[in-house]
Amino acid sequence: MFIPVRTRSLFLAALLCVSARAADLDYNRDIRPILSENCFHCHGFDEKSRKAELRLDVAESAFAERDGVTAIKPGDLAGSDAWQRILSSDPDELMPPPKSHLKLSEPEKNLLKLWIEQGAKYAGHWSFLPPQRPEIPEGKDGAVDAFVRQRLKDEGLAPGGAANRAELIRRLSLDLTGLPPSAEEAVAFESDSSPGAYGKLVERLLASPHFGERMALEWLDAARYADTNGFSIDGGRHMWLWRDWVIQAFNDNMPYERFLTEQLAGDLLPGRTEAQLIATGFQRNNMVTHEGGTLPEENLTNYNADRVKTLGESVLGLTLACAQCHNHKFDPITQKDYFQIFAFFNSLSDRGLDGNAGINPGPYISAKTVLRTDEIPAVEKRIAELHALLAKPDAAALAAWEKRQRSLLDQRGKGFAAHPVKVLNVSTPNRGSGLEFDAGNHVRLKGGGEMGVFDVSTELPDLRAPITGLRVVVHPVPELTGGGWGAGPAEGKPAKGAAKPAEDASQPAKKGTFVLTSLSVTADRRANDQINLHKLERIARVTASSWAPSYPPSGCLDPRNESGWSPELSAEGPVRLTATFARPISPEEVRNMTVQLNFGHGRSLVAEHLELFVVTGTDDDSDLAPAVLDALAAPAESRSDAQKTALWTACAAMSEDLNRARIELANLEERLAALTQPFQTMVMDVASKPRDTFILNRGDYAQPTEKVSPGTIAALPPMPEGAPADRLGLARWITMRSNPLTARVAVNRFWKMFFGTGIVGTPADFGAQGEWPTHPALLDWLAVEFMESGWDVKHLVRLVVMSETYRQSSAASPALLERDPQNRLLGRGPRFRVPAELIRDTALKAGGLLVPRVGGPSVNPYTPGDLWREVSHYGSTPATAQAFVQDHGEKLYRRSLYTFWKRTAPPPNMMAFDAPNREVCTISRGNTTTPLQALVTLNDPQFVEAARAFAQRIVRHSPDDAERLRWAFREATSRAVKPAELEVLRSALARERERFRANAARVAEVLSVGESPRDPSIEPAEHAAWMQLASLLLNLSEVVTRN
Amino acid sequence: MNPIIDRLAHLTRRTFLGDVSRGIGGLALGSLLQPDLLRAAQSEGGDGLPRLGLPHFAPKAKRVLCLFQSGGLSHVDLFDDKPMLHQHAGKELPPSVKGSQRLTGMTSGQTAYPVVPPLEPGKRCGKQGTWISDLLPGIQSIADELCIIKSMHTEAINHDPGITFMNTGNQLPGYASMGSWVSYGLGTENQNLPAFIAMVSQGTGKNPGQPVFSRLWGSGFLPSSHQGVGLRPGRSPVLFLENPPGVDREQRRALLDDLARLNQIRAEEMSDPETLTRIKAYEMAFRMQTSVPDLTDISGESAATLEAYGPEVRKPGSYASNCLLARRLLERDVRFVQLFHRGWDQHIAITRQLPNQCRDIDQPTAALVKDLRQRGLLDDTLVVFATEFGRTVFSQGQLGSPGMGRDHHGRSFTLWMAGGGIRPGMDYGATDDFCYNIVENPVHIRDLHATILHCLGIDHARFTHKFRGLNTRLTGVEEAHVVKGILS
Repeated sequence: MFIPVRTRSLFLAALLCVSARAADLDYNRDIRPILSENCFHCHGFDEKSRKAELRLDVAESAFAERDGVTAIKPGDLAGSDAWQRILSSDPDELMPPPKSHLKLSEPEKNLLKLWIEQGAKYAGHWSFLPPQRPEIPEGKDGAVDAFVRQRLKDEGLAPGGAANRAELIRRLSLDLTGLPPSAEEAVAFESDSSPGAYGKLVERLLASPHFGERMALEWLDAARYADTNGFSIDGGRHMWLWRDWVIQAFNDNMPYERFLTEQLAGDLLPGRTEAQLIATGFQRNNMVTHEGGTLPEENLTNYNADRVKTLGESVLGLTLACAQCHNHKFDPITQKDYFQIFAFFNSLSDRGLDGNAGINPGPYISAKTVLRTDEIPAVEKRIAELHALLAKPDAAALAAWEKRQRSLLDQRGKGFAAHPVKVLNVSTPNRGSGLEFDAGNHVRLKGGGEMGVFDVSTELPDLRAPITGLRVVVHPVPELTGGGWGAGPAEGKPAKGAAKPAEDASQPAKKGTFVLTSLSVTADRRANDQINLHKLERIARVTASSWAPSYPPSGCLDPRNESGWSPELSAEGPVRLTATFARPISPEEVRNMTVQLNFGHGRSLVAEHLELFVVTGTDDDSDLAPAVLDALAAPAESRSDAQKTALWTACAAMSEDLNRARIELANLEERLAALTQPFQTMVMDVASKPRDTFILNRGDYAQPTEKVSPGTIAALPPMPEGAPADRLGLARWITMRSNPLTARVAVNRFWKMFFGTGIVGTPADFGAQGEWPTHPALLDWLAVEFMESGWDVKHLVRLVVMSETYRQSSAASPALLERDPQNRLLGRGPRFRVPAELIRDTALKAGGLLVPRVGGPSVNPYTPGDLWREVSHYGSTPATAQAFVQDHGEKLYRRSLYTFWKRTAPPPNMMAFDAPNREVCTISRGNTTTPLQALVTLNDPQFVEAARAFAQRIVRHSPDDAERLRWAFREATSRAVKPAELEVLRSALARERERFRANAARVAEVLSVGESPRDPSIEPAEHAAWMQLASLLLNLSEVVTRN
Repeated sequence: MNPIIDRLAHLTRRTFLGDVSRGIGGLALGSLLQPDLLRAAQSEGGDGLPRLGLPHFAPKAKRVLCLFQSGGLSHVDLFDDKPMLHQHAGKELPPSVKGSQRLTGMTSGQTAYPVVPPLEPGKRCGKQGTWISDLLPGIQSIADELCIIKSMHTEAINHDPGITFMNTGNQLPGYASMGSWVSYGLGTENQNLPAFIAMVSQGTGKNPGQPVFSRLWGSGFLPSSHQGVGLRPGRSPVLFLENPPGVDREQRRALLDDLARLNQIRAEEMSDPETLTRIKAYEMAFRMQTSVPDLTDISGESAATLEAYGPEVRKPGSYASNCLLARRLLERDVRFVQLFHRGWDQHIAITRQLPNQCRDIDQPTAALVKDLRQRGLLDDTLVVFATEFGRTVFSQGQLGSPGMGRDHHGRSFTLWMAGGGIRPGMDYGATDDFCYNIVENPVHIRDLHATILHCLGIDHARFTHKFRGLNTRLTGVEEAHVVKGILS
């Protein structure tokens, strides 16, 4: 009936209980894989590695007589030398040779024997022949079902039963939008028995703005989208406009042919639009470097090689990368073909060392997002409200803030003393000289520095009182410009990309100054040259004797280079900064302190002469500006209007009570800007003097040989008549009707999204080493239908999800599971764990936390510690994305595809669930089940907070426990709870209530996770108990599984 | 690639992180419960199933410890002194030696390439009389255990490609790390800890050092369950290990029991083996919540042991502390333990930086090797003290200035191995009089990888994973040779 497909599929074949039937022998399906795996390496397409001048991949060579010997004589086993050598017991004769470590199995030998006996019929590789629309097998079924059922029938299997409605709506919602339905949507769908209900649901979901997000996810993997440059220092880049473009393209149902053309050659289209330029970022998503010392030509070679590889795997289903160093061993792709494709991309004006300091590597443009959204009026309205809220003094907030400030001022300077430390050492990574210190607490950082951190190792004086903080005094240096504190900015060039220097136009410019961008402190029993990233003292408050308006002392609490402390230029004499630790340090516990001063604005903005002290008692400085201090000092009734304004302004900027409003405002202003302002994005272009492309010997950039021009693969149909020899021509070739690969590869990739596995199980490899399709006719039918529909993606998706094959139940009998464990025959509904992003999104949605805004810049939700700084070049580079700073407000709750993707340290809760690191093109993610995943969904603050918020929704839903449990279960799983399940939940609830009733302290701890507000009307112990139930539900296997 | 077979193969290799998602039928749960049965199944043959069949031959080592010195450790200063360097000190490196090999963009524009002898004197150590710098007194004291390979070479001359090459067998991203290959091939011997653990520490010579990347311990194209799990200082040594605030172990146990009950009901209804696997994964997670803190709790270590590792051992996250944890991991049969110590990139101020870097690692490294020896673990633990490349014999920057350093040098560098499978007390390979070019027994990174696998009983040529049509190997597509001359 069905012949085992290939060595590595024998197991599958065995499970399918099929037996060989001679009549069905198909070269492409049955023979080529065996020859490819075992023979083509030495007897195939690549002439350099070819042995004995024999090719077994083409009949002419295989059948030819050489010195009286014929490798394959059709119909004549005895006369076929290849066959005799396969049987040989002489290791020198045996094929494949023992040292290849290849070995033919008995079933494989049988197949080859049959094939030769039957006349050794060769055929062109299936995927290199353009697809023809096959006849749909007879019957009443739609095409998809007809082909699938035909195969099932051949295997003696019947289609599975239909999934129930709850399963269906969950499956479809996850597949088309990446979000599960609400309990109410699930119930409504379940009870809607009208015949068109499912079709209506499909249409509703296809029209959702989240459709584009769901479809984009796979394409972002393929296109290796990320927010950092990847190599080496892995600094930040700006590419989210391209991500917006992809989402909008799917939502607009842009024809796939245009989707590819604009991404490959949008810049070359006549009358190109800004959107089409943004689209070309597809082939700029590759990793880049500005690592000092690397060679630009080598880097550029790597970039273009990555572009070819990505094009091959994501669009053509060809492992083109295999032909960089030599002709492809298995597929008819020459090294020349490879470099002709390479040449299409080698004409960009990109440079081999580029992309530092948060500035995109060129070429890039400044453009506005293509995202269309109706949220702008609402955002503007809310911004206005928040401005009004923050502008209008709120008596209660002001009173509370004043009270707090007064108590701080009452404490100000109480028991204060500053004690000089003894400096033991000063170091910086990139300099060997110019660092001086005396026997006391004075440090001289002469001549500025590279981008740089300075670590000062100190010994503490003998103290009895607890150490409450640290003071840094910066002295003016007469030799520096204007007798200032540092060299910049009047002289010297600020580092590339550094933020604006601390210069106020209204002030005298000719005075050297500095910007202290961050301050880190480690206290220890012994001296350390360097701070310990794992033991940084938490700093509660920073004050200074003076600061320029945009450089307040608190600026150095944020480790990034963008913010920092810089004194007003008008300040005279020494200036000082005082940091108060969150927890006073007992002088018995520590003897030493290491202080890291980061002057991240670069060479000219380093303070030269510093003095370090530890502080006991309460800081005698304030973080309030003098005008605010004056206003506070004045009796409330006699304050001038200016004083009142000063007070409220300070309160609005600092009050804890208004924190949420400030965060919301900042986030919304950023959102509005993202939707309306231009931003950087990388694009493709053609250099004014494009580089020549050469075939590189062994793929080595340093060994150019023959010069080549842009061109396509000789073994595939030629470029269409009149197509230009540039990327636009390449795009035309890729999307022409006679290209045998593009539509098949696309259809297969979409299929994989809905069934977990493609019709071709190797979606990035349609070559000789790829898998034979499980349903070749269906694949071709879909490919032709796709092209003839005008490459209509939603049409394709509709065809698939409307099929009964898609709508089968995923339940399977043990017998079927054993027979077809991977469901390749599609005798049941697809079931697989959902991708990482959807797991987090599902939890956020259950918690009612999800902020469903589409598109925009990436965000940094909760991540434990600063995982970036542990591996990055922080302090030694102007590159961005070196230290992690968590966002707040709505940015904690955006969909996971917007989480900032740092390639060298990707988000750990996504990586645990098989998300790729986005360094290279990924077509199929893994699908593992691991304990680390359990730790994420049980303990990650993001999920713990989601459980807390979900519990709140449950409690508010109804006063009745049973109804709450029913609703919660439905919300989590989309289906009705069963009595046995309800029983488990009830007893769990009773137990958790009991637990928390007795322990108020524990309740407070449990409810403390996450920044979203808690509804205070819910009794805390009750909330805590329900939170455990919510966590239980969110951890159900069913919740992370798409059934 | 055939996912079913791959999965079955991983399953039979009992990966701790259980790569057993889809389509294994009832086998999934069974395998986790009855590893012995699967071990038996693994050794069976005759059914046409491809299998890794590992080990290929009797291994000498069961585990690997890789002490990776990130940034490019100076072989010239620390391991490869030559009389000529002193005779030629300050003079131009002869062009015949320097040849036409490429230099990095950092020194290719220099007008002079003066020879700089080792910073500090050293002494002949061990029975083989190998020269080791006085900056490394601890390592001097374990010379008898070491096989020092002085003829390592690599094509990479910059950090990202260099460190990626050494750790994944390729200069470009997208490949699987050494540790993930070993996890994939041999699985775990400890059901409560991951098979591959990675730890990062910061160097005090140069801080920040060159960046390191998760790809260096990533799984590349191998299933992600083989990626190295990071161990960090603090209350959650493995990310998200700790229960949320206010949730204790007893409560978590009760919740997991409820969860298992609910999952079981559904799994039976749907004949869903993946859910059964997930139940097991939750149980492993629960066990990790005690096995990991038990691992990182060093309160039971004797004062003598702590003292041996040096004062930094009490500093969480330090190289010394990671060394002690490495021993505790190896004791627990963790298959592959890798330390990354940053800061070895001495372009600048080598006279200040290098002694600090050496101080970071010298005493703890020596203590770790001695500790392994003393506990009988060194016999079947392969220790690899590695770096991505060496440093130039000529100065980068002005000779004699405090800012002077050395540039990257891929053409020759030094690393050492010890323990299971390796002949102790020997030098292997040699560079020329200027420790610039290799004159004897060159060892490429691929050869090193082949040798590491060999010690584990694996033939690198037969240890493959099918990806994108290719039988990929740690040693890549080019020839690689086991360094037979260093095997015990």
